This record gives sequence, C-alpha cells and structure tokens, in this order.
Amino acid sequence: MHRTIASLPLAPSVKTKLTSAGFDTCADLKDLRPLQLCKEAGISQEEALEVLQTLRSDEGVGGAAAVRGGVTALQLLQKEHALGDIITFCSALDSALGGGVPVGKTTEVCGAPGVGKTQLCVQLAVDVQIPVCLGGQGGQALYLDTEGSFLVQRAADVAQAAVEHCTLLAHDHEQQAALKDFTVENILSRLWLVRCHDYVELLAHCYLLPDFLTKHPEVQLVVIDSIAFPFRHDFEDFSQRTRLLNGLAQQLIQLATEHSVAVVLTNQMTTKVWNGQSKLVPALGESWGHAATQRLILHWEGTQRLASIFKSPSQMEATVPYCITECEAMSGSSNEEKTFRRFLELFLREMKPHCWRTNRLRCGQ
Amino acid sequence: MNWEQLDLNPRIIAAVKRANVKSAKEILSLSGSDLQRLTQLSKTDVHHLHTAVAQAYCKRPLVTALQLLRGECPSLEPGHRLSFGCAVLDALLRGGIPLCGITELAGESGAGKTQFGLQLSLSVQYPVEHGGLGSGAVFICTEDSFPIKRLRQLIVQQSHLRQDLPKALVRSIRFSDNIYIEHAADLSALQTCITQRVPVLLSRGSVRLVVVDSVAGLFRNEFQADETVERTRHLLAFSSTLHRLSHTYHTPVLCINQVTDVVDGPNPGRCNFGLVESRVLPALGLAWANQVMVRLMLRRLGGCVTAGEQSCVPRRLEVVFAPHLPRVSCLCGVWLEGIRGIAMEDSGEPPQQALSGTARTAHGPGTAPEGAGGT
Repeated sequence: MHRTIASLPLAPSVKTKLTSAGFDTCADLKDLRPLQLCKEAGISQEEALEVLQTLRSDEGVGGAAAVRGGVTALQLLQKEHALGDIITFCSALDSALGGGVPVGKTTEVCGAPGVGKTQLCVQLAVDVQIPVCLGGQGGQALYLDTEGSFLVQRAADVAQAAVEHCTLLAHDHEQQAALKDFTVENILSRLWLVRCHDYVELLAHCYLLPDFLTKHPEVQLVVIDSIAFPFRHDFEDFSQRTRLLNGLAQQLIQLATEHSVAVVLTNQMTTKVWNGQSKLVPALGESWGHAATQRLILHWEGTQRLASIFKSPSQMEATVPYCITECEAMSGSSNEEKTFRRFLELFLREMKPHCWRTNRLRCGQ
Repeated sequence: MNWEQLDLNPRIIAAVKRANVKSAKEILSLSGSDLQRLTQLSKTDVHHLHTAVAQAYCKRPLVTALQLLRGECPSLEPGHRLSFGCAVLDALLRGGIPLCGITELAGESGAGKTQFGLQLSLSVQYPVEHGGLGSGAVFICTEDSFPIKRLRQLIVQQSHLRQDLPKALVRSIRFSDNIYIEHAADLSALQTCITQRVPVLLSRGSVRLVVVDSVAGLFRNEFQADETVERTRHLLAFSSTLHRLSHTYHTPVLCINQVTDVVDGPNPGRCNFGLVESRVLPALGLAWANQVMVRLMLRRLGGCVTAGEQSCVPRRLEVVFAPHLPRVSCLCGVWLEGIRGIAMEDSGEPPQQALSGTARTAHGPGTAPEGAGGT
C-alpha cells in the first residue's frame, strides 16, 4: 500500500490535484468514499470515482499479493531462528532466556541502581558484534543514553575482554581470520552513541530511528538506557506520560519487528506499599508493564546478584545468579569462572597504577 | 519554532500553523493519529512532519564510541576526571570523579565527608594538567556553617599535600578567592540557589565544581514520615536540576549524604545494594539512589594509623556502584594537610593486615590529633 499516487495510471491533472491535496500513497485514499474525495481534492465526482476504481482494480492484484505474502507458523518459526539471539556471556542467563536476548523483540531490564543494568547493556552492545562464525551476530549497536552513565572507558574494558575471550574460543582458520577484524578499535567504531537530555529529545530520536536503521542495516541492537530517567521527572500530568510511553512502546515494537533489531530498554525500580507491606516493583506504572515482550528483573539477594525472568512469551519463569567482574559484565557457571578469573588477574595487573592510561594506550595501538 | 526553516512542503507548514501548534516539543509529544486529527493532514504528511521536526530538534550528529575514546567530541565525553589530589584515591576511582553526573558520598557523622568536599574545592583550582579544572568551586551548606577554619588550614598545608607539584604553582593560586559559599537553611533557599545563583557562576566560568553538604539534611527535616510522595517530587526536581547543570557545564557535582540505620531484618521493599554486612545504608531511599551515578561510602574504622608524627583513625572509602568501576575500596586517613589514601602493598596484601600492623603503634582512638574538623 506504499505505492505512490504518481505511479497510478491516472490523468496527470488528477494526479497533481491529489498530490497537492496531500494524498501521497494509495493507503491515503483507501478508506475514502468518492464524494469525500471529490470534496477533499477538488476534482469532479466522475474523476473521483475513476480514481477509486483504478485504485481498487490495482489493489485486487496487490490484495492477492498480500494473501500470498502471509506467512505460515512454520515460516515464522524459521524466521525467528534465523534472526538469532545476542549472547550475554553468562550461560545460565543465556539458557534462561532461550539462547540470549532475542533479535526482533523488545526486552526490558529492570533493577535497582548499581545492580548492573548499564553493565548488561554495554556487554550486549559489544556481544552483538561477535563474528558469526563464533556464534555471534556480527552486527552493530546503537546506544541511546539518557542518564549520562555510558562511560566509554568501561565499554573499552568490556570490548577488550570480549576480544580476549573470543581469541581463546577460536580454533579453526575461519574463526581466526574473523578475529583479525574483531579488535577493540573496530568494536568501538561500530557502537553508535546518542545522548538524550530530556524526554523530547528521546522521542525525537525515536522518530529518526527507522531512517537510521534503513541506512545502517548492520545495526542489530538498539539500547535505551534508561527509559525511566527522562520520564520520571518533569511530568505533572501523569495521563500525558502514560500516553507518550504507550506511543513509544508501540513505535519500538514496530521497529524491532520491521527492522529485525533487538530493542533493550532499562527501567528503574520503585517502592510500592501494598497492604502495609512494601516491595520493589519496576517504575513507570502498570500499563508500561505491557510494553516489552520480555521483562528481566535484576536484584540483590544478600551479596549475590540474581536475574529473574519476569515476563516472557516463550521462556519459563526462572531466576539465575550472575556476577559482574572487572572486565566483563556477565559470568555465571563455575567452568566459565575459570576463564574469568584469568581475565580478572589480567585486569588487576593493568589496574595498578594508571590503569586508565594503560587502557587508552592499548586501544590506541 | 520557526516552521519556515523546515524542509517541508509549504502545504504541511500551512496546516501546522493553522492548527496553532507552537513548538517542536508539542509536535514530538503528539502521536501520529493525534496530529492527523489536529492538522487534517494525511498519514504520510504527518510522518514527514515528525521526521523533519525531529531532525531539526536533534542537531548533534551521531558519534561512535571510538570517537569518544579518542576525545574527538569533548562535549559528550570530556575524557579527564577531577583529581582528589592523592594518587591512591585517584587510582581507586580511575582518575578521580567524573565530570558529568552526580557523585554521592555517604557516611556516618564524623566519617570525614566534608573533608572530601573541601579537598575537592581546592584540587579543582589546579590547572587541567595537574588533575584540576582550573576554576573555582561553589560549596552549598545546608547543615552546619562552613568550616572556614579548616579550609584555611588546608590552604596553608597545600604544598605538603601536593608535593608532586612545583611550590611556585601552589603558591600562585589564590585558593580562598575561588570558593563561593552558599548557605541554604530550607528547601526553597536551596532551590533558589541551584536554579538562579549557581547557573550564573557556572556560565561565567568562575566555578567548575558544585558541592552540596548535605542533601539529606533538608529533605529529612522538612518532611514528615507520611509525606513521602511530596518528598520524592521535590527530590526529583532537585536532582534533575543538578543533573542538567552537570551535563550542560561539564561540572562534577558532589552530594554529601547521611546514612540511615538498618533496624529491621531483611525487607523486600528495601534495596541494600549488596551491602549485607553494613549496619547503615545511604539515606533518602531508592528515589534518590536512582539519580546518582557514582555512589561512594565512607566508613570510620577502629584502630589507628600513623604517618610521620601524625596519627589518625583510618577510614574506608568504598565504591558502592559506578558505571565504570568495580566494587573496590581503599583505606584513607584525614591528616593535617588533607585526606590521603593509604596505599596497599604491591604484593596485594589485604589492607586489614596492613592496618593491624600499624595499629600496634596505636595510641587508641580519640587521643590522636586529627586535623581540626569533624565532618
């Protein structure tokens, strides 16, 4: 239905009138009656009827295509498999999520401050770039930072650790060849960053996202860290906030499906008092809970960090432990821990006197 | 907004003017169907309108993380940090406190929080190559009066603290001329201060550090226990003002916070940030914690450490959370010349052992001469 009016077999004078009345595509004309069209476009009734008949006969062809374009459940399943997942480097979390953060869906990460939401996002922005032959997506990432908490130093650390991790994993020639391109510098050059200072800027960037993703088809991950921050102050009118958030959620879901990107949102927690009992719940209210396809809650249990799958259409409810090491955000099981301990040592060695300078030098090589 | 400047069909612009829409903010806040209803434009036109307005609103180009790392866009990532003037503390925080965002320092009374504020107000005055920002500081007191005597003492002792710098440089800076002291006795005074006077100082460039000592005082006193909603609203307005100032002027904001006792057992409605063994948590709850980028905690420990002829009670400075730091901590002491970290041995010896080693020479707490100030 995105066929332009100009391409229809109509008289040029009629086409001009239609375009100047603001009708650009066939979709704009679809639901109109001849009388309405004749008033709106300033053409005669006969002409209006002719336009709509031409449109209908053309649509007949297009309509059949729509039926042909419909997909079966099997095709849908195959498509979903083809899109794949972004791994988190924490095997327990990956398996709980069914392989990682799904591409083509929206995932919301909620958690108290300091529990590791930003760390998970930075990790995903790096992991989405792991070469395909090593089980990654070979994509790029766009990071919308609303809190100002994206520190490039940290992204460089995570990238460095991911490079080293992948070097350990690479066995055959193809993988080693792919790793030549997988350097800290390249990873960071494929991580796009936008800083939004208020909710209007965030909304503006969301309107620009479709064009950006069409221009950069390699981008497979869009992170908004966090959705709550700009929407939790400056709002007196809560119904307007709900309306804006619902619109934004709709836009993001559309974006995820149409451009096959994973959309990851982070959200803050708030205290809810209910029947004299208080508990922590994700912020932004009840209706926002429907916004994302998957919802992951990160929380503390003593000194242990836990990730719970709170809402998912395909995965069981599960709670898995994870931890954040100095060099990588996520690690879980004991056999992974061994590798991570090595990274830790490596990192601490660098860390000693002027670690940030050392890191910068390393990246500059 | 001047609609004529937009790259749009004049017909669309006419429709927008007819609908009496004034600002880009209004356009962006309206959904597609609302805008269609309001302007009587078709869906495609509304899409063009949204995109054009969004493009005009977001003037900054997209950057990659690599450009940030190389320092090609100093407006987004200034790169350097504000140094404490002590190599151990700077190493703990990977260079010092970040220029953009709110840094919080929480601790019990007597832990030495104000000392940190004072020391940063001095170190910010050094030139950039020596870890400062070459500008002054504004110090907002909400609790006690400003510890002017202690500040004088610190200024006199600067050359002892910064032995790495040439003496002439230290002597050439007129420290006390560049510290602007504000007293805010209630919330409205604080609001006026940060919305009117501080922005003026920042825009003139006479100040590149804002210290609030403390945030907890006013917010804890002025509201009753049942006024949490109201308190949260004020707290968010306050923090968003600070956040905006910090990001606009690339100015670090240090907020000193009190702590609150953990009296009851585990409570599902409280977030303990993984600090299980701690009897105290930073005050003001989750609403405030969500606004903080770097949270530090200062604890007073038992025992005593000595350095030369001075001795003092050791403190532990801990990073509770920060986007770029692991959960690390180090020991530090408040000396006559300021706060200095106590370096860990290179062998990775845990600081507790280092402490007990020095504690043998302890005179016991209380008798140690400890600078002039409490907190």
